[in-house]
Amino acid sequence: MPKLTLNGVSKAYGATLALRRGDLEIAAGEVHVLMGSNGSGKSTLCKIIAGSVRPDGGEILIDGRSVTISGPQSAREQGIGIFYQELSLAANRSVEENICLAMLPVKAAFFVDRPALKARAARYIELFAGVSGDGFAAETLVGNLRADQRQLVEIMKALASEAPILIFDEPTSALDRAQVDRFFDILRGLKRDGRGIIFISHRMDEITAIGDRVTIIRDGETIQTLNLSETDPAAVIRLMVGGAGDMPASQSSAPAVASFSAGAAMTVDRLSGAGFRNVSFEVAKGEILGLGGLHGQGQSAVLRAIFGAGSVTSGEIRIGSDRFDAKSPRDAIRHGCAYVSGDRGRDGVIAGRPIIENVTPIHYLRDRLMIARPSGLKAKAMPALEAMHTKFASLMHPINSLSGGNQQKVIIARWLIDRPDVLLLDDPTKGIDLSAKADLFALIRQLAADGLGILLYSSEDAELLGNANRILVFNGGSVTRELTGEDRTRYNLYQAAYEAA
Amino acid sequence: MTPTTIETRPIRSGGLKLWLERYPFLPALIIVVALLALNGAFSPNSLSYRSLTGLLSTYMALIMLAIAQTYVVSAGDIDLSAGATLSLVNVAIVVLMEKWGGGGAAVIGAMLCGILLGLACGVINGIVVAALRLQAIVATFATSIFFTGVALYVMPVAGTPAPALFWRTYGGRLLGLPFVFYVLAALALLLFLFSRTRLVTQLLAVGDDQQAAYQTGLPVVLVRIKGYALCGLFSALAAFCLTGDTASGDPLVGGKMTLYSVAAVVLGGSALAGGWTTVVGSLLGALTIGLVNSLVFFMGTPSEWQNFVQGLAILLVLMAGVLAGRRVRA
Repeated sequence: MPKLTLNGVSKAYGATLALRRGDLEIAAGEVHVLMGSNGSGKSTLCKIIAGSVRPDGGEILIDGRSVTISGPQSAREQGIGIFYQELSLAANRSVEENICLAMLPVKAAFFVDRPALKARAARYIELFAGVSGDGFAAETLVGNLRADQRQLVEIMKALASEAPILIFDEPTSALDRAQVDRFFDILRGLKRDGRGIIFISHRMDEITAIGDRVTIIRDGETIQTLNLSETDPAAVIRLMVGGAGDMPASQSSAPAVASFSAGAAMTVDRLSGAGFRNVSFEVAKGEILGLGGLHGQGQSAVLRAIFGAGSVTSGEIRIGSDRFDAKSPRDAIRHGCAYVSGDRGRDGVIAGRPIIENVTPIHYLRDRLMIARPSGLKAKAMPALEAMHTKFASLMHPINSLSGGNQQKVIIARWLIDRPDVLLLDDPTKGIDLSAKADLFALIRQLAADGLGILLYSSEDAELLGNANRILVFNGGSVTRELTGEDRTRYNLYQAAYEAA
Repeated sequence: MTPTTIETRPIRSGGLKLWLERYPFLPALIIVVALLALNGAFSPNSLSYRSLTGLLSTYMALIMLAIAQTYVVSAGDIDLSAGATLSLVNVAIVVLMEKWGGGGAAVIGAMLCGILLGLACGVINGIVVAALRLQAIVATFATSIFFTGVALYVMPVAGTPAPALFWRTYGGRLLGLPFVFYVLAALALLLFLFSRTRLVTQLLAVGDDQQAAYQTGLPVVLVRIKGYALCGLFSALAAFCLTGDTASGDPLVGGKMTLYSVAAVVLGGSALAGGWTTVVGSLLGALTIGLVNSLVFFMGTPSEWQNFVQGLAILLVLMAGVLAGRRVRA
């Protein structure tokens, strides 16, 4: 009998289906690998099992019994432990407190049993003795640790649940070789104990080293489960990509490479900073340059740094032929640089304010407007909004009354009143529906045709393949491969992203 | 969060940083000592045993209130009704003690009721903020108006005296030592015990990162409600000290103390965003406010300038403490 079974589990966030259909079977004593591209629904699936996301439908069985998981606490009680990809640590608590946080040992009903806590935490800290690095101690505050050490604490915390079913959602992304080896030794021990383990990683060598079976997820749907011993990496990647994997990105969709002889819109030369190093490229006027690769390999960091919102330690950026070093986004905007983030809530929307105020802030800044008449602004705002087919009742309605896609259109419209020279798109379609995406990319191509240089990072590979003239594949903060012309295929993109990782 | 975007804080073996992590109230302590020295310089008499006892018994209520505030701030919340809770408990116990005859039994009975009342106020706040998910600042501001309304109903006009037994005990001596010292000792014991509870660790974990705490499986809503209950409890204790000091009931007495309590928490070295707090620091922060006020008085500031100087001094202390702490911890 399988330890854990999922039957047709699904989850939607508003209009976007994060998980269309999840079917999964975890046997006792196996490491079950989940594979799928960015945003295919792996993490959603894990969070549903761990109770931090409530499924819309489907059935979960543990040891053959149908169960309802009402929250993380209830998941824990039913024997599920999880390593969260984004970590679930308290930065100002010590390593040992974090490891035991879910079930603090108690004495006299109220008080933390410190000796018991120390003893329990020490067991898990001991597992990584010798590879946990300098400055790693039971009493150290987690906020003072390096990224890899924090990841180790999250691993220890998951192990401390002693749950029969363990989920590890990208536990190795920041670990070095020795740490990964030690972790795999521990996993092998857990396998022998008969635990059921779900494991997500983007490193093919790790998957073949530790995995028993693999389930492939594509576009929110579990496609197939294979025995890893009977398959090879190429076959797995082909399944992730789907049938059309070997064909080049449909030529009809990608814009022609002809029109950008007009010179470079932006040149980036050996740029290094927090999260990326030694990145060089050139965007021609009229070109859409795609930044690809797995999540968080430095794509966003580069874009934010160019826009003056991140840190640059060395290197040079030029717009046209002028040196361009934005000290702040304000500075960048003045020099004709535009940035649209997928994280609307944080970087774009002025929440609760009317649409017109959300369309015009860049115009205010670039024209140094002090006093403006609404009618005058309206004449400027309307064409920009109409270019995007934005649906709204009136300019005075608050932006929150719009759907996510229409909000993003408003955010993009604000850059259209005064044309920038360079447009930085940082995963601009995150969480918006398909028709809005289509409108958005139609506009982006129009802008490129008008001579803007466009940098596009997208976590959805299809968007890159369909729109970018060239794709730079990022890995660990630097560009590892450039795909041009016929090379722009799904297969190549996956391979470049996964293989070298 | 993806690993490459995590900025890693360099591990500095610097002893100062370690000290501050272990004793986050150190800057506040230095400031208190400096203010004591300044007070002594302007008026040597202000450092006498008598004046210090007086200072302590006057500001014990603010100390308690600052500590009350600290527990909610730990979880990343805030309680703008702490002062109103104090007022409500103040008038309630004065009325009850008067009604029950002002004897020993009446005093103890009234105090028990006061504690229950404080807890009730805290639980109401907790439910409103954590369970109903209203904004803590606005919701507790609203409940503060509500609590003040109840206090005004209990005692429409200020001035009902507390029984002599109550304030004589608070202002008097026990076994040769001022009673307020025993209060301080009891408080220290209480704080020590609370610091070891599971609840405080959970509060801090919730304040650190609420989503992470939820995903860890902590009962976040319940923890926050308990934090507010703790705040209500200490607000009631603050009310006892205040009643002992003023010897009367006043339905509006606590209103202006609320923001002082928030200021004391920050002066003490806690992070208002939660996850990083120190009750000892809050105690020292409340003392800082008291010492600033007495310094302004001893400097002979003309009365129309006292608020001006007071505000300026608190601002200076805040900058000194917070900037120093930030530099070392950053």
